Amino acid sequence: MYDVIIIGAGPAGLSAGIYTSRRGMKSLIISKGFSEQVTSTPEIYNYPGYLKIKGFELILKMEEQARNSGIEIILEEVEEVKERGKNFILKTVNNEYGCKTLILASGKTPRNLSVPGEKKLTGKGISYCVTCDGPLFKDKIVAVVGGGNSALDAATYMAGIAKKVYLIHRRDQFRGFESMIEKVKKHKNVEFVLNSVVVEFKGDMFLKSLTVENVNSKEKKELEVNGCFIEIGSEVKTDFVKHLVKIDENNHIKINNNCETSHPGIFAAGDVTNTPFKQIVVAAGEGAKAGLNAYNYIHGIKSKIIIDWKKGK
Amino acid sequence: MVVKVYSTPTCPYCNMVKDFLKKNNIEFEEIDVSTNHTAAHEMIEKSGQMGVPVTDINGKIIVGYNVPALKEALEKK
Repeated sequence: MYDVIIIGAGPAGLSAGIYTSRRGMKSLIISKGFSEQVTSTPEIYNYPGYLKIKGFELILKMEEQARNSGIEIILEEVEEVKERGKNFILKTVNNEYGCKTLILASGKTPRNLSVPGEKKLTGKGISYCVTCDGPLFKDKIVAVVGGGNSALDAATYMAGIAKKVYLIHRRDQFRGFESMIEKVKKHKNVEFVLNSVVVEFKGDMFLKSLTVENVNSKEKKELEVNGCFIEIGSEVKTDFVKHLVKIDENNHIKINNNCETSHPGIFAAGDVTNTPFKQIVVAAGEGAKAGLNAYNYIHGIKSKIIIDWKKGK
Repeated sequence: MVVKVYSTPTCPYCNMVKDFLKKNNIEFEEIDVSTNHTAAHEMIEKSGQMGVPVTDINGKIIVGYNVPALKEALEKK
């Protein structure tokens, strides 16, 4: 039984973990991975203490600091949270973990299409990171799904690597910048598949094809592809805690100034909450608040400020 | 001990794996699968998937930046 389990290993979760471990709480972080949003940011200029730092370097430093404080980090995906008396039980694919308090800090995750075959073939042709996995598809046929700047950027990038690129978008116009659209159009090997949505991915070991449906005519077409990059933005995933905490109309977890949710013993911090500024420093600050309030909750302290520093050395 | 890291130059999680190995003074061979296509095939065959990074520690395959798994594989030898 942990004193606290933190879901998420981004700035909010790692910061919360630093605070709870330093308070002597038995702490565990469970996360699918380390903040995709931060690690994929090339340069960060607004995190105090660093004039400039690469996203992945900042996360590595936070991870190291959290581990040094004594926290355990497990890379799994939490699928279910249940109450057991005053405690919580978290279920992942293979394991179960119990805790007295819970901090939700799972941030934003790349949005998926939620169509048949997608989950099974992720990492087997389907990818959400074109800069990571794109180069593996040299001279292959790929699809890019989406209509914003990130999709246009991905299509342009893949046009220089792959033999052919299908750019699949559900509307007939793109949401991205005009200059980006022009850039994509210059590539002869990009074929636009507009007014179309992907309805299924097929393949046994690896992705072999995908089926698109025209949104107007409802006509279906199968495209043979080796790879598919899904670039349709990011979202907060809060479905697994909806039965426990209040969620706003944008799916964000509602919190008060103390990072408390509507449920006693459950706190939340960072991009998963309804806090307006989605910034690394804000997430880290909120993580600290959530951690300290989780400590106070266990010890029955009502929002009293406790000294967390020592005089002298 | 033979350690190979299959990666692409632009992938942040690859950098995190390489950084982890360097910090622990583990010598490794870095294989850029964006230019070496034979190696890309080898990586896909070994790991049964197409995402980077893939780390091969004495034949034990670890996909992604997963410190507990990397440590476990490194401690075996």
